[in-house]
Amino acid sequence: MINIPLLLVFIPVVAAIIIYIFKNRWMYFLAFAAQILVTVLAVAYTIHYWGDFESAMLFIGGWSEGDIGISLRNDPLSISFLFLSIFSWWMVLIYKFEPGKTDNTFLFFLMFLQGVFLGLLQTNDLFNLFVFLELTTIIVTILVAYQKVGSSIRAGVYYLLLNTAGALAFLVGVILLYNVFGTINIEVIRNNMAGMGEYNIIQLAFVLMMAAVTVKAALFPVFTWLPKAHGVAQSAISALLSGMIVKAGIYLFIRLNQMFALAEFGYQDFFFAIGVMTAVTGAVFAMMQTNIKLLLAYSTLSQVGIIIIGLVSMETYHGGLLHVFNHALFKSLLFLGAGIIISVYRTKDITKIRGLWRSMPVVSLLMIAGMLAISGAPFFNGYVSKAFISTSLADSTVRYYTFFLINIGSTAAFIKLAQIFFGPKMLSYPMRHTAKMIPLFFIAAGCFALGNFYVPIFDRFFGVDLSDIRAFSLSAFFDYFVTLAAAFAIVWFWVRKDGRIVRELRKVHISFETANYMFVLYIVALGVVFVVW
Amino acid sequence: MNPILTFVVILIGFYGIATSKNIIKSVFCLTIIESGIILLFLNLGNYEGGAIPILSNGQIDTIVDPLPQALMITTIVIGSTVTALSLMLCIKLFHHYGSIDWAKILGREDLS
Repeated sequence: MINIPLLLVFIPVVAAIIIYIFKNRWMYFLAFAAQILVTVLAVAYTIHYWGDFESAMLFIGGWSEGDIGISLRNDPLSISFLFLSIFSWWMVLIYKFEPGKTDNTFLFFLMFLQGVFLGLLQTNDLFNLFVFLELTTIIVTILVAYQKVGSSIRAGVYYLLLNTAGALAFLVGVILLYNVFGTINIEVIRNNMAGMGEYNIIQLAFVLMMAAVTVKAALFPVFTWLPKAHGVAQSAISALLSGMIVKAGIYLFIRLNQMFALAEFGYQDFFFAIGVMTAVTGAVFAMMQTNIKLLLAYSTLSQVGIIIIGLVSMETYHGGLLHVFNHALFKSLLFLGAGIIISVYRTKDITKIRGLWRSMPVVSLLMIAGMLAISGAPFFNGYVSKAFISTSLADSTVRYYTFFLINIGSTAAFIKLAQIFFGPKMLSYPMRHTAKMIPLFFIAAGCFALGNFYVPIFDRFFGVDLSDIRAFSLSAFFDYFVTLAAAFAIVWFWVRKDGRIVRELRKVHISFETANYMFVLYIVALGVVFVVW
Repeated sequence: MNPILTFVVILIGFYGIATSKNIIKSVFCLTIIESGIILLFLNLGNYEGGAIPILSNGQIDTIVDPLPQALMITTIVIGSTVTALSLMLCIKLFHHYGSIDWAKILGREDLS
């Protein structure tokens, strides 16, 4: 029972290797079998150790003394991320399943990535964390470049090099911490943080590690890899990237905050500003796009900004955490739906896709559910987390209205996307996508469930009472309609006319050198902020 | 070797990735950063006259810290993987665009 965290890492990896060695068309069922095994083990583990995860610490190789060995450790946070990622991988596996057409190489990388990602969530060792980060980056690069066309390879190499630069900054931070503490065990470092001298070195390590997290989570100055990678990958991979891989950065953000909590760095305002800038940039760029994948990718950016706004302070922390799960659900739903639309219409341009409602009513309904959820409509999951964050921010008027404006901006992109539903029926050739809609139904059901039964779910997992947030209230509907109206006004009076500013902004390209330059500047800025305060 | 010098190596690498226009040069600059990091960590675990960390000789008091060496082996492996993958992608890019310059591979959108 105690070895289950290790099995969760190795079952997908071993299954991936078997899939790659025996290339035949039955191998997809092996992937499903491995996935079922992982799910059952994760559930059994959670039920067995619920409430007592401290006793479940797993030391690999029996190195339990001296804090040297690698250990795996779980808590409610990592368990909830674990289930979210297993669910996401289920959905992608079902989505990519086509009887008789098994792409074993693709499946190899998909399953391998799952093993690596589950390891990333559970490890309690900083260097191990670095290894998993780099492995994730490498495998995601291959998956992004998988279609072997020029733009996907370009995005892949951009993603690989920028994220490696970030991960190397993380490694320098790890080395500095090892120098101070003599261990790289997260738990031990966290407990010894308070009484430690050499405050400056710890501060430098914090700055470098946070910079690495900024790259991984695609925050403000170094977000440029995200739209490139998400825009050109296959839709299933985009769903996974937006749903889970970006969350690796967010997860690291939470973990590092916990680790440095006793050092009491005052970084909350700085990261609030970073979150606001990320959200604004994402929202503005999202409403300029005409490519459906790029629109969704930039919208991921604005949602990540909202998550960071939520996570930085104690009052809004659980709203941000809930938004992580909500965003993973509705963004996967939108990307998978967009994949079906792209494969049927053979175009990504939303000005050319017309009459979706008449052509594919079921897909349209699912897309609308996703769009309502992401724009924060009552009874869908996006509403709960956004309402939690905004009610907690109500103490400060500036922050409250900043958040309100960000909401309007991130909704505007979806008002623009809604144009694909209107118009006459355009399709004449037959469609074979019924099987692909099964995961969409599951995810939409998840959105709806989290939007209505959030009180018992969150109480059970995190012990937090969310019953203050009511979707039935009149003010919730009023706020939502104000948001919708304002977003509609922006789209109707500015974006729709496709003026010069819109066209210029759409073509903005940030080169690799500039992104790295901004990364270095960001490290310097973070350092200056910490030294001055 | 002085730790400050290894930081200089790392900063040279960062200068390189922030300025180089060529993808191959970017890859090499990342390798330089990584070499600097490896030197830094080995340097922190080492001291003048320390023995190799193999305990068969019984010199447990004089050996250098073995953990940095074990970790840096892994870093070298990861670094070589990243370098190999990115150079392979460079070859593919050259086949597609006829250039490995960051600026010149732009502007030719192919519908995927």
